[in-house]
Amino acid sequence: MELRDILGDSKHVKISPDSTVGDALVSMIENKTDFLLIVRRGPNDSYGMVSRWDIVEGAIADGKDLGATPVLDYARKPLVVMNNLDLDIRWVAKKMANERVSKIAVFDRDDFLGFISDVDLLKAVAKKAAKGAKK
Amino acid sequence: MTAALLILKDVVKTFEFPTIGRDESTLSAMNKMLELDKYTLLVPRQNKNDAYGIVTKKDIVARVIAEGKDPTKVKVKDIMSKPLVILTNLSLDLRWVAKAMANSGVSTIAVFDKGDFYGYVTEACILEGVYNALRRAKLEQGVEFVSC
Repeated sequence: MELRDILGDSKHVKISPDSTVGDALVSMIENKTDFLLIVRRGPNDSYGMVSRWDIVEGAIADGKDLGATPVLDYARKPLVVMNNLDLDIRWVAKKMANERVSKIAVFDRDDFLGFISDVDLLKAVAKKAAKGAKK
Repeated sequence: MTAALLILKDVVKTFEFPTIGRDESTLSAMNKMLELDKYTLLVPRQNKNDAYGIVTKKDIVARVIAEGKDPTKVKVKDIMSKPLVILTNLSLDLRWVAKAMANSGVSTIAVFDKGDFYGYVTEACILEGVYNALRRAKLEQGVEFVSC
């Protein structure tokens, strides 16, 4: 199974790079998501990402004032990116494990196609196994 | 606006995780996770000298799929985390709960109160607790809270 097969419809919530960790936390809870995309400031900037892990194990564990800490202090920037749509999903999983992230951004040349999450991987493998069992 | 006023007791939740047998395959763990939309499963102990284990989606991605192993052959007991990471001080500052998660690299901690099982605290519990505290602080300041 290849990367292109598991690229589902991605929903992601964006947040400004000037936000604080508190803003990110509120946005995460209200949008019922566990990660946010931090938009870039210009074409030479990179996108960033902040996850539930970054907030809880980062900002809260460090005892920071959430309303005064910029989200960029705890964000992952640049994103972990993949662009080879023919890659076997085994290596997608390995990349997640190596980089210690649970979301990977997928680009085809210049086009942003979406995010792959660890749940997408589980779904794909479970589906494949179910098919294999029928045969 | 800080999380300093919150303690573990404010955010700990008394619920049970779905369980999975230690000898079941990772595939059945995966199916159970997707079916219930809960990505943490508890592995019961065999006897009172044994420890409980836990298996999460991260374990499956990193230890089965990434290694190219067959999920029907790898058993839950080979990839689970065991024993559980626990906390026993219910009045612990939330900051140190978060730090305990960061130090041990887990997202779920079991909480015991004087030897009795009390509940679990997860990343989502902590976020919710801080969120509610921020909301209360805003209400007290007289700022009307805008909800989605």
